[in-house]
Amino acid sequence: MPRFKLKLKKRPKTAKLENQDSGEVLMAPSLRMASGVPNYKVILCGEYGVGKSSIFRRFLNNTFVVADTKKTTIGLDQCTRSVDIGGTEVKLTLWDTGGMERMSFIGSSYYRGAHAALLCYNSNNKETFTILSQYILDIVMNAEGAKIFLCGNMADGSEDKEKVDDGDLESFMTECEDVLSGVYSVSCKDNLGLDEMFEDMAKVLHTDSLNRMTIRRDLIRPGETPELNEGSTGKKRSCC
Amino acid sequence: MSQECILSGMLSVTGKKVLHMDRNPYYGGESASLTPLDLVFKHFGKEPPKGDDVYGRGRDWNVDIIPKFLMANGQLVQLLISTGVTRYLEFKSVEGSYVYKRDGKIHKVPADEKEALASSLMGMFEKRRFRKFLQFVQEFDENDPAKWQGVDPNAMPAYKLYEKFSLDENTQDVTGHALALYLNDKYMNNPCKELISRCKLYSDSLSRYGKSPYLYPLYGLGELPQGFARQVAIYGGTYMLDKPNLKIRYDEQGKVVGVEDDKGDMARCDVLVCDPTYVPEKCKSIGKVVRAICILDHPIPNTKDAPSVQIIIPQNQVNRKDDIYVCVVSNTHQVCPKGFYLAIVSTTVETSSPEQELKPGLDLLGPILEKFVSVSDLYEPDDDGKESRVFITKSYDATTHFETTCIDVLQTYRRITGENFDPSKIQRQSEDGCQQEQQEQ
Ligand SMILES: Nc1nc2c(ncn2[C@@H]2O[C@H](COP(=O)(O)OP(=O)(O)OP(=O)(O)O)[C@@H](O)[C@H]2O)c(=O)[nH]1
Ligand SMILES: [Mg+2]
Repeated sequence: MPRFKLKLKKRPKTAKLENQDSGEVLMAPSLRMASGVPNYKVILCGEYGVGKSSIFRRFLNNTFVVADTKKTTIGLDQCTRSVDIGGTEVKLTLWDTGGMERMSFIGSSYYRGAHAALLCYNSNNKETFTILSQYILDIVMNAEGAKIFLCGNMADGSEDKEKVDDGDLESFMTECEDVLSGVYSVSCKDNLGLDEMFEDMAKVLHTDSLNRMTIRRDLIRPGETPELNEGSTGKKRSCC
Repeated sequence: MSQECILSGMLSVTGKKVLHMDRNPYYGGESASLTPLDLVFKHFGKEPPKGDDVYGRGRDWNVDIIPKFLMANGQLVQLLISTGVTRYLEFKSVEGSYVYKRDGKIHKVPADEKEALASSLMGMFEKRRFRKFLQFVQEFDENDPAKWQGVDPNAMPAYKLYEKFSLDENTQDVTGHALALYLNDKYMNNPCKELISRCKLYSDSLSRYGKSPYLYPLYGLGELPQGFARQVAIYGGTYMLDKPNLKIRYDEQGKVVGVEDDKGDMARCDVLVCDPTYVPEKCKSIGKVVRAICILDHPIPNTKDAPSVQIIIPQNQVNRKDDIYVCVVSNTHQVCPKGFYLAIVSTTVETSSPEQELKPGLDLLGPILEKFVSVSDLYEPDDDGKESRVFITKSYDATTHFETTCIDVLQTYRRITGENFDPSKIQRQSEDGCQQEQQEQ
């Protein structure tokens, strides 16, 4: 098994995208569940076949499926897991695209309320890397304030002239200035670097959220949000 | 429109293979929210303002062409929960529900006893009678004739029920239009069963989250079709957007065999579901709706600066046959930048100068910065799909909630499958998931 080094670049500050008339940073605070454990939404982004669902599967139940190229993801698209960051428990909810990018466009709703986007590419396929600047644009437009992380998958792959090398990475990061909050290299096949990546993202997101205030408290999700009349059916409100 | 999106979702979660095609390059057709703001100007054939940032940042706008609120205890909410689509969406309550009176003032429909006592909506004695009526409605049980208090819900007309509780005309208007949400007074002679269940829906919805019975999704209604589309994708369905000039192909018996795109590629199908715009020859016009989307830089006067409200103008109060509706949403629902408000005034067209008919509603808004007016035809299918296997949904009516839309959806589902939608038949995704891979076509 090749030795694997988790790459962790210095963590640049996220560009602050500010609402012009208020100066308030529009970003979803973590959704605190009844348990009080903060929960961060992380969306997977990247081209068809770079291994987003494989990352999702590692996160979900630590499995890896070798599939021929004809097959594509159908199944769950959302999974929450607790991550321990130095004694503190936080939750990450990872979202897969459900294969929408394959059939049509993903749509703005996928990005809503995301605290972070994990930009994925295949380290052995430069095209999947060069196209990422377009994804950054979508993320910045639709998930304002979300932190962006970069993940090169298939680090197990053979040396290839198509390989994305350090030079490519450097120039990409210069080009994107300071928008990246973390850069990782992983292999879903060999299960390398994934847990470290999830833990590091959780750490970055949690540290960041501690410095923010909650601006979206009164959200309602039918079926999940506790209702007023629960347990007190005896004295229902009526309108007069 | 969004009925097709809901149906795609319902059909795919109950095991049907769905291909969803749309002539537009986005999800949801007319129920999509327009963004950025320039697109709204273009949609209505207007020139966007030249100066920069007159209306803040363009992409902070998500404008619904047809605004509707969800009843917190209504059928759409049930469908969102049973199909699992609710996890893609976030809602906030609408702050207040108001009703217009002949005197030209708007009054809050009380949300609790305290508000009811303070309300100037009706006099003291009327309040007591009204309260009795509401108690009756709340305790009414269709299956328990002992509690009917001599009311036969299937026989007694609605107006008789009002008479029984001695409610005056004004209170009847509030009840029938602001609570039961009837569009006009045709219900008066129908059995009162429906009036009772509609009032019940209102108060059950109100008791869920408190401020009003209405919910509205963050970022606008365009999130709904996207949520359903996503669920369809997860269940193995396929979406094809941006497919103009689709042609529907039939066999000799007039049964649908497939849909052909402009390149001549044919997708075969046993059943086709679509809105009237795809099959005008199979539909009939049943009227028109006029809507004005207004941009304001202030909340609606006399609403205690509420960031979102619904105002209902009962037809009687302004000598019309159909109610006028005003829906207001703003930055708290993430549909426009801070400091702006979106107000949509709509009604069923009765005369040859439709815009003029909106005046009582427009007059409530105060100064209007920008106004986009449109008149749209309402269509209804003229083909029940039995022979053709083409199932057509109805156009969105003038109501500002989804209850009539959901009835259409549930009926269409039944027409297609021959059975009622049964959430217990939904094939849940396994928790250790991902074994469910499927062959791509
Ligand atoms: N060698 C190698 N193959 C991998 C790795 N990760 C994923 N794959 C393979 O790459 C293929 C595509 O992976 P997916 O996870 O389905 O990719 P995706 O981005 O989710 O693609 P779609 O959902 O189909 O758009 C599969 O055949 C995986 O087995 C890896 O780390 N190394
Ligand atoms: Mg996938």
